[in-house]
Amino acid sequence: MSVPTEYLLGLAAILFGIGIAGFLTRRNLIVVLMSIELMLNAANLSLVAGARMHSTQRLLDGAGPDLQGPVLAIFVIAVAAVEAAVGLALIIALYRRKQTVSLESVSELRD
Amino acid sequence: MFLTGDIHAKSLGLLAPELVLVAVSLLILVLDLVWKERDSSRLGWISIGGLALTSFLLLLAFGRSGGPEHETAFALVTIDRFGIFFKLFTCAALAVVIFFVMQDRRERKSHIGEYYFLLLGAAIGIFFMVGTNNLLLLVLGLELLSLASYSLAGFHKAERRSAEAAMKYVIFGGLSAGVMVYGISLLYGLTGTLDLRVMAGVAQGEGVTRSLAQAITESPGAVAIAMVMILGGFSYKMSVAPFHFWAPDVYEGAPTPVTTFLAVGSKAAGFGALLRFLAVLFQDGGAAEAVRAYGLQVGSLLALLAAVTMTIGNLAAMRQESVKRMLAYSSVAHAGYLLVGVAAMTSEGFEAAMFYLVAYYLMNLGAFGVLLYFSGETGEETFDSLDGLGYKAPLISVAMVVFLISLTGLPPMIGFLGKWKLIQAAMDPALDGRLLWLVICLVLNSVVSLYYYLRVAKHLFLKQPAERSVRPAPALTGLLVVLAVLNVLLLAYARPLVEWTSASFDLILR
Repeated sequence: MSVPTEYLLGLAAILFGIGIAGFLTRRNLIVVLMSIELMLNAANLSLVAGARMHSTQRLLDGAGPDLQGPVLAIFVIAVAAVEAAVGLALIIALYRRKQTVSLESVSELRD
Repeated sequence: MFLTGDIHAKSLGLLAPELVLVAVSLLILVLDLVWKERDSSRLGWISIGGLALTSFLLLLAFGRSGGPEHETAFALVTIDRFGIFFKLFTCAALAVVIFFVMQDRRERKSHIGEYYFLLLGAAIGIFFMVGTNNLLLLVLGLELLSLASYSLAGFHKAERRSAEAAMKYVIFGGLSAGVMVYGISLLYGLTGTLDLRVMAGVAQGEGVTRSLAQAITESPGAVAIAMVMILGGFSYKMSVAPFHFWAPDVYEGAPTPVTTFLAVGSKAAGFGALLRFLAVLFQDGGAAEAVRAYGLQVGSLLALLAAVTMTIGNLAAMRQESVKRMLAYSSVAHAGYLLVGVAAMTSEGFEAAMFYLVAYYLMNLGAFGVLLYFSGETGEETFDSLDGLGYKAPLISVAMVVFLISLTGLPPMIGFLGKWKLIQAAMDPALDGRLLWLVICLVLNSVVSLYYYLRVAKHLFLKQPAERSVRPAPALTGLLVVLAVLNVLLLAYARPLVEWTSASFDLILR
């Protein structure tokens, strides 16, 4: 037995929705970064699900599995890690000055 | 896909400009550690030398390419004139930005090797971003550019505004990356390939691939969502509404040379990638009728975004008290103007957008250079801090007036010709006047922009002369005067430039 691709894509969509909702509603910078990670990982899940779908067809045709999706997913994992590293470094720089990680602490620049 | 040794060597040869750039950036990093000297300007000159060498290699590649078949390196990087145009543009912009870094009086002089390293790293990202038909490499290039830009925006991390700018940039950058990659994953799920040319049905791909035409007829909703999400990712790089929120804050908080780079280099890269994406998917020779019709709908969406972006940018720019923030909003407005050419979805429109980018380079680099000089002297960026300085630094101030008139789009400056070509593309008879409203919007917006651009000139020349004296900066003045002269001269001798942009647009095999 195997999980239908639709379920995987649905789960990815839900994860992405949670990520967007978290991004828009949370005031804590660390939680905002976590929401971004959630969005990127939702995209990864969707990429891998797509690859599985295409691979099933390809294996029936006698070709190898489709690797484009998984390869992009691996790169996105690396990119997400670097993005988190830069983001956390900046949060630390802000925390040292303001002793808070709230979004309100970054509100000096505005109209 | 199995590559043999020969193909590897050939691919590496094709990637020579990128390899030079990587080598120079690493050299900068090592030399910065080894030399430990007080004055880092030698490193700046090495960077500019590296960029000159890269440009030379790119020019050679430009001469070689242009045939009906594009060469590809490692089956990922496409070597075509379109990509080389944007790579040359990046080199030219970056050389000026690095010169600005060396001339920045508010920048420390020692141990800023990583400044140059990050700028060159961003350029490498742009090279891959504009030089590929594969969405994987597009994402990687875009992220490399983004990551370097985040660090650059926060380069003065001890300064609160700089750290805040970087923080906002990371947050919005992460959001747009998430949205874009998710959109790409949907497109991949629908078509089974990440290669735009295979997706468009121009090239043959291995395995199960559905063409975009099939995907559009079978699941139009999913394609629409994917397109909107991917365009969202591009909008962020181009600072197009509704993904422009970060731009004013980041532009204001970042060091001025970095702001210049974001406004010119990074924005051009976003446009380059978007133009390629649209041209390959919706215009290429073999595109089916359904795909072309779909492309026109995407064009209508872009037309709407263009109108919103230029209006928001202009209205907000009028209310600013900081010249830097005004220029930030003005660059948002210019992203809107540029989109007019893209929204036409014709090759003339795309060429007009590319030509406008060259004009934008000449006028915006100049305006930011003048701001760099004055803010270095006064320590401020407000309109009031410029009062009467036109009499203290006449040459630079006159150059500023030239840039401002060019930005407004009035003759006799190149900005006028740029806008003229955009309008011409939007009024193309093939479009049946569908974009007439957008042209009216563009003209009205240009009139509005005259108000805040001339405000700078008013503060420079019509206010009481300031008490303070300013130190001369001969090198910077020389560069700015050259840029100002080019603004005028290239209007008179625009033909080669126009022909060059046309020759660069070889995505559509005519």
